Amino acid sequence: MAEERRGSWFGFGFCGFGQALGSGRGRQVTSPEPLRAAGTDAEVCSVSASWSYTAFLSRERSGPIPPGPAPTCPRLLLSWLPAPAGAGQVQLSGSARGAAEGCRDAWASETLLVVLRDGRGPGAGAELQAWAPGSALCGEPLWAQTVVPEAQREDREDGEGDGTRARPLPLLPGARAYVSPLSPLYRPLAPELRARRLELGTEHALLLDEAGQVYSWGGGRHGQLGHGTLEAEPEPRLLEALQGLPMAEVAAGGWHSVCVSETGDVYTWGWNESGQLALPTRSLAEDRETVTGETTGLSGHGPGVTGTTGDEGGAPASCIALQPFPALLDLPLGSDAVKASCGSRHTAVVTSKYGQLGHGDTTSRDWPCRVEYFVDKQLQAVAVSCGPWNTYVYAVQRETS
Amino acid sequence: MQNNVLRLSWQVYLMAEDSNRDTLPGMGPLQEALRALLPRTKEELKLDLSENVHRSVLILLQQATNLFYEGRRSECLQTTEALLDYSWEKLNTGVWRDVDKDWRRVYSFSCLLKTMCLCETPGDATTVAAALKVCDMGLLMGAAILGDILSKVAAILQTHLLSGKRPAQGPAQEQPGIKKARNGHTSIPDTRSEEAVPRLHCPSLQYFRKHYLVPQRPVILEGVADHWPCMKKWSLEYIQEIAGCRTVPVEVGSRYTDEDWSQRLMTVNEFISRYILNEPKDIGYLAQHQLFDQIPELKQDIGVPDYCCLGDGEEEEITINAWFGPPGTVSPLHQDPQQNFLVQVLGRKYIRLYSPQESEALYPHDTHLLHNTSQVGPSMTFQLLPHPTPFLESRQMASLAFFRSTWRILTWRSSPGLLRPHSCPASCLLEKSCSSRLNIGIMCKPWT
Repeated sequence: MAEERRGSWFGFGFCGFGQALGSGRGRQVTSPEPLRAAGTDAEVCSVSASWSYTAFLSRERSGPIPPGPAPTCPRLLLSWLPAPAGAGQVQLSGSARGAAEGCRDAWASETLLVVLRDGRGPGAGAELQAWAPGSALCGEPLWAQTVVPEAQREDREDGEGDGTRARPLPLLPGARAYVSPLSPLYRPLAPELRARRLELGTEHALLLDEAGQVYSWGGGRHGQLGHGTLEAEPEPRLLEALQGLPMAEVAAGGWHSVCVSETGDVYTWGWNESGQLALPTRSLAEDRETVTGETTGLSGHGPGVTGTTGDEGGAPASCIALQPFPALLDLPLGSDAVKASCGSRHTAVVTSKYGQLGHGDTTSRDWPCRVEYFVDKQLQAVAVSCGPWNTYVYAVQRETS
Repeated sequence: MQNNVLRLSWQVYLMAEDSNRDTLPGMGPLQEALRALLPRTKEELKLDLSENVHRSVLILLQQATNLFYEGRRSECLQTTEALLDYSWEKLNTGVWRDVDKDWRRVYSFSCLLKTMCLCETPGDATTVAAALKVCDMGLLMGAAILGDILSKVAAILQTHLLSGKRPAQGPAQEQPGIKKARNGHTSIPDTRSEEAVPRLHCPSLQYFRKHYLVPQRPVILEGVADHWPCMKKWSLEYIQEIAGCRTVPVEVGSRYTDEDWSQRLMTVNEFISRYILNEPKDIGYLAQHQLFDQIPELKQDIGVPDYCCLGDGEEEEITINAWFGPPGTVSPLHQDPQQNFLVQVLGRKYIRLYSPQESEALYPHDTHLLHNTSQVGPSMTFQLLPHPTPFLESRQMASLAFFRSTWRILTWRSSPGLLRPHSCPASCLLEKSCSSRLNIGIMCKPWT
């Protein structure tokens, strides 16, 4: 029988501005909590979190679930669930409040909230609007531009089939340009790039093209570009280290980058100061050193940072501060990854069996660590979206067979 | 009847006032001294910030200030932690000199509140030391706020820590650990007299300008710093006493062109214990740090050479850096963008200079970060470069070495001595840029 296999969103992390994150009690939530969406008929379909506020995009509840067994692989699962159609509502929570109708997509940053809205009037193309977060989406946007109708048509042809949003912000429909929180807001992209997805870090940008190749540009002082140097790149440059390996996902954090291949491998590069690359980092190794004789509660999943040699001066030689080339990650139990998202200094990856992060404490970890909450509650993570200091996960109840 | 009521309400008022001020039993002189630095009301504790600082951050700043004045210490700590982390991210975005000063001021303000919160409850020396560390972070990474309040806080905390401390152990000079240089015996080439940098004894300003400053020629000026107190007072022991508990940036690694070179923060005591004494396993160097701005007590021991007034900039623009490290290290050949005056206080340094005409032969790195540094190591220069022009060997104390920005500098330590360029690789936490025209270097190291 067809169970109600609707998914729901969970959140954990920093909520010091009262942004909706589960119960929203206190300044941070260390274990996943179900999100309370305002409005009962609407279903939150995507989340874009900035540091002090979160933008939720919700649409009318979609139709009945098709009969038959549901696929277990998250990528197929997402497309199997009936995709909400049409525009929906954007709701803001946290330091910015307000809501707006007729929205197809939203992207949140501290200085700017970018919304893709249905055009006003019949037959009009969609409109891209940039708002000051404090404006509560009232009055006039700081900047607005009509999206060229051809671009919209292209998008519909390409993307609709699999139910995922074809070209999410900050990539603009038609993939001819993207929007940036810093001036200039509108930035053109060479059409040859055939961008499928674009992600912005604090100082860099990552682009995934139709063929699964990754490009990067911007500041490179922490190795976040992945070209093997610390030099900046003014224009999109192909990541040669990954050439020929088709990638399915890219994600950009504050100063690090992650991508997931079509075969489920995860690659990370950039700054590892908090262990966000899932590689050993000196600061955490030194913290572990000072905890003498105490089992630090590591699960067997980690690569097992072995006890240091008692050298009080140095950390183990294998610690990595900067990783300027992509490094292949070993996920626990040989899992394959499906989606990735990056915060300012953390990384979350959804594997085909588990979702990661949110362990009930505030300790940093420099190895991939499973979020037990979802396992305990028989939930399967399907999508993840990281704000700078928090994580939102969309998960579906597992079928009890 | 009336009098009783009055008396009662007066007593209530007194109690209310006490709880506002959070007077806990045992609130000692430390807490009082710190509180005295802050304004009475929260409205007065304000920063004027530009619109570059996000509205959300202003909200948190207000919240943190309110919480502090309401005595809600642990909540205040949570809020300031968020402010510290967020402003830290801003400080790590882009090039250091382009970081908006307001973000540095937000960082300083957060350090101030955190330091105050940590000291609110009577704690042991560890708590005060932790508070001083936070205070130092604000001084190192932030920008001056509220009449340079962090310096005043640091002075109070340091006094409090020292009053409880035993005097520093043992005389510095007798330590056996420092006798053994890490790299073993490093040979120094002979200096031939005709190639040595000329030495003058206290030339007049005009003479110096005409013959050395304008034509860009290096010179050693003798007798200029003889009377500086540091020449008599400074020793390892003294430094530990005056500045031991202060946090400073230390460069770890043989040379900054190496891959495993990094910068770390530690107290001066930790630095001395780990990298100067006790047969250090790594090279650690307190290099190019404006120590005298951070620790004014040390600044009182040094002077500023009169010759510095011949520069184009204002006196406030003169940057004074300290270099403090163990023997046996080598600095790659590099160029400084500013003129330098160098004073060697303790120890010996070997310096070699190449004229601008030799630049072609010096193989600078082609990366942006290291474009002022040669790829050629010191041992190779003897063979490759045909005209190594004036050597400078600063054996004597109290000599002042001057060299202009266009000369290339190679330094070689037989004993201590390392000269850094002013721009460090970006992976450092504390990349600073000097905007002054003249740059004084002070070196202090133990004798081998």
